[in-house]
Amino acid sequence: MNILIPHTWLKEHLATDADPKTIQENVSLCGPSIERIYDTEGDKVYDIEVTTNRVDSMSVRGIAREAAVILEQFGISATLKPQQLLQDLQPEVTELPLPKIVNDPDLSKRIICVVLQGVKRNSTPEWMGKRLLQTDQNIHDAAIDITNYVTHELGHPCHAFDYDKLMKTGGEIIISEAKKGETFTTLDGNVFETVGGEVVFKNGEGRIIDLPSIKGTANTSIDDSTQNVLLLLESIKAKKVRFASMTHAIRTTAAQLMEKNVDPNLAEDVLIRGIELYRELCGAKIASPIYDEFPGQREPQPVSLPLQRVTDYLGLEIKTDRITSILETLGCQVKVAGSMLTVTPPTFRPDITIPADVIEEIARIYGYHNLPSTLMDTPIPVTKPSDVNYTIERTIKQYLANIGWQEIYSYSMVSEEIALESGQPRDGHLKLQNPLTDDRVYLRRSLVPSLEEIIAQNKQEEQMSVFEIAHVYHPLPRQLPEQDLMLTLVSSDEYRQVRGAFEQLLRQLFIEGIAVKPLGEHDSTTVAQQAEIWVGETLLGKVLHLTSGHTALEVQMSQLLKIAASHPIYQSIPKTAELKEDLTFTLPKKTLIGEVLASLKKADGLVKSVELKDQYKQNYTFGISYWSPDQNLSSEEIEPIRKKVVATITDLHAGTLVGSV
Amino acid sequence: MTATEYTNKLQEVVKNLQEALTKAETNQEITELKTAYLGKKGHFKALSQQIKDIPRTEKKEIGAVLNDTKTQLESLIESALATQTTTTQSWVDLTAPGVKPKLGHMHPVSQAMEEITHIFEQIGFTRVRYPEVDWDWYVFEALNMPKSHPARDEWETFFVDAPTDEKMGKMVLTTHTSNGQVREMERLNSKPPIRMINIARCYRRQQDATHTQMFHQFEGLVVDKGITIQHLKGTLDYFAEQFYGPGTKSRIRPFHFQFTEPSFEVDFSCHICHGTGYLDTKEEQKCRFCKSGWHEVGGAGMVHPNVLKAGGIDPDEYTGFAFGWGVERTYTLKEGLNLDDIRLLYSGDLRFLTQF
Repeated sequence: MNILIPHTWLKEHLATDADPKTIQENVSLCGPSIERIYDTEGDKVYDIEVTTNRVDSMSVRGIAREAAVILEQFGISATLKPQQLLQDLQPEVTELPLPKIVNDPDLSKRIICVVLQGVKRNSTPEWMGKRLLQTDQNIHDAAIDITNYVTHELGHPCHAFDYDKLMKTGGEIIISEAKKGETFTTLDGNVFETVGGEVVFKNGEGRIIDLPSIKGTANTSIDDSTQNVLLLLESIKAKKVRFASMTHAIRTTAAQLMEKNVDPNLAEDVLIRGIELYRELCGAKIASPIYDEFPGQREPQPVSLPLQRVTDYLGLEIKTDRITSILETLGCQVKVAGSMLTVTPPTFRPDITIPADVIEEIARIYGYHNLPSTLMDTPIPVTKPSDVNYTIERTIKQYLANIGWQEIYSYSMVSEEIALESGQPRDGHLKLQNPLTDDRVYLRRSLVPSLEEIIAQNKQEEQMSVFEIAHVYHPLPRQLPEQDLMLTLVSSDEYRQVRGAFEQLLRQLFIEGIAVKPLGEHDSTTVAQQAEIWVGETLLGKVLHLTSGHTALEVQMSQLLKIAASHPIYQSIPKTAELKEDLTFTLPKKTLIGEVLASLKKADGLVKSVELKDQYKQNYTFGISYWSPDQNLSSEEIEPIRKKVVATITDLHAGTLVGSV
Repeated sequence: MTATEYTNKLQEVVKNLQEALTKAETNQEITELKTAYLGKKGHFKALSQQIKDIPRTEKKEIGAVLNDTKTQLESLIESALATQTTTTQSWVDLTAPGVKPKLGHMHPVSQAMEEITHIFEQIGFTRVRYPEVDWDWYVFEALNMPKSHPARDEWETFFVDAPTDEKMGKMVLTTHTSNGQVREMERLNSKPPIRMINIARCYRRQQDATHTQMFHQFEGLVVDKGITIQHLKGTLDYFAEQFYGPGTKSRIRPFHFQFTEPSFEVDFSCHICHGTGYLDTKEEQKCRFCKSGWHEVGGAGMVHPNVLKAGGIDPDEYTGFAFGWGVERTYTLKEGLNLDDIRLLYSGDLRFLTQF
């Protein structure tokens, strides 16, 4: 939450000679962050971020109180000026009857009000108008603006009812929870239907006549004909305010304050300040005694902690005197008994409830900037997670980048269209309940469609090879989805290039010898062919030939980690030489070369390795290495083996040798 | 013909070739000489046929000379060819443009994560990763943020359309890496020491030049006996210097988070104006890169006792600190990067990505 505070308004509550820049610098170090200073309407205006636990600082006076304590710590003279409020609050005219108020102490901690008679509809004076503009508020007329002005100045929202309209509804205010299906119209004319549980003001007939702490309703609010005002402050329980405000999305300043536990003790000051201004600016007269019902008045609970605990957090000892004085300037009552510190916070600091809260107050005022900076001298943990390996992830990324692949980070949430391209049905995906945009609705089950989309978007590139390491999300009944880390590669290069790159990548992880086993049809319309990638008994993932002509590889990182190594198993350097020769075969169409290669390798124990060197139409040239650990082989010696190789191809694959043995 | 005459003739042929070779400038000329001297109709062949005119008694001796001559001629040609080859092929045009191997790029976010990981590993942090789709319990509830708490407003949460778990609550996309806090305590069976760095994808329901629906955070968590605010400051200073360069300072200011107490906002000094807010010593030219000399990078704090309790750790015995920042934000503050729209990171636009 941010609040705008004009410098001159602040100075009405804070006695100091500090200039705005000094105030900004010092207050920001120990208290609310003064993010910017604007020049608005001839004054410096602070833009201050107030954290949600410090609603006491959401006012001019609240900031002045913090600033006074902090500036003093920096040796800059600053004091919070005492409030001089109207003393004589006796009715000035013939009394008008107060409405009959029926409170429920479980719903409202306090209710305080007064009737003001003869409220003239004067325009807002220039000085007040300027401040409202400086704090980004609208100007109406004095009778309306006074409520906003005092709220901003002192921090407790208040509401001005049209007294006569209210009395016409029956002169009763019954504080209760709405049932489901009741309707009310807010002062700006919007109609709402209750869901049940909203705290409302009702009249004797059960009609809603106000949405307290959030917004007034049209049937009781000030309008052009208003002459008399009931100025009222209530203190609806914070959770109830938040519930109603969030449910109906009525996020007024009042609601945003009241849902954060504004101190009900503040209500009286705000009421009196309001009375002052109505008398001064609208010529109003006090026409009733002040009604004040305060069932929720509570003494703040003391917090006790060993003084040692302060040292535990700060890493240094602060003298007890200093601790006491810091806490007392913040309005706390402090008792030190032996080694125990007992602190009773002021009513406006309900955020101080545990020892750590007290320590925070001491530490921030002492100044975080005054604490030394040092690294831990405690033991270094040695239990590492077993299911991840960031070194391997880095190796993969670096290797692929080095051979021309571009790493991509794409969104985990995808559109319906992209989701379906995974081949999984729509309801096989986890779906967001509240997506922000149509293209980010489903949690993806494959990275391939995302990467394909990216290739398609980069029309300027003739060729593209991209990869991503990211999770996919497979739904499980009544559990978190299976969140599988995938390495996915998609390329417009031809299949053998992509596969070669992948095999060399595996080589980086000392994995050799993949087997690609073609599978049947894929459920996705974007996939033309698919196969599984195996290394021994480990299924690594899939290779896809996409209808776009691109090749995709999907590898499960967890599977890859099982077989990856950081080093090879050393093989002694061979003492004998390999004999290499090329053989060309004519093979029938659609022969699976993977199988041919496997057959060649198995043809004889002396065949050490086989590679596909060339292909022209149906002629395939294989480079074959023969090797014996015992002797150097001669061309004559391998002749029988060569014949076996040729026979294997003829028998198993109906191939014929080009040339003769 | 006498044996001596014949030997002289042979030596003459060798001498002639030697001379001819000195004049030969190209491979082709040498090859032509080779044909002229050693070819089927060459000088050597012609001479060798004349051996029949040599008296029989001397033939054996002359045969050896003849062989010798052939070897001499061959080696002359060979060495000439070899010399020729080295001289013509060793010249390259050094001004010619290079032929570059294809190069890809690691994504800038990966590069940033690598750097961050490295920095923290040096001071004993263990990198971990936790679910990106997680239960409300780990994301909020265990972090001292009960349901309907106003503090939850700051996290624009994406909810997953899945049944609510009785104990764990709703299924959400992680709004921050802080879900790793209690998960890490659980992984270590609630037994400190803990020094975790959790880097993961996060999701919030917002999108503009500085926010994307998906982004990355890194979360530090340190829990042990005797961990103080000073250690947090030390860790922050260490990171600032390592990541942004020597002289960079960190600063903590009061803030509020439900899961830390005290809580801090973390600033790093601006490397452009060195923390002064001005580009000149007279303080006339304001630094436009930062907010009065400092950059807000994220949040930090001392772990809230309730969070330690949720992770099964006794808050009376242990203390700890935590911090969490956006990877993108931290990275884009790097000097001279000038990246002002982080949506580009996830656009997949190669014109952008190939710059890294």
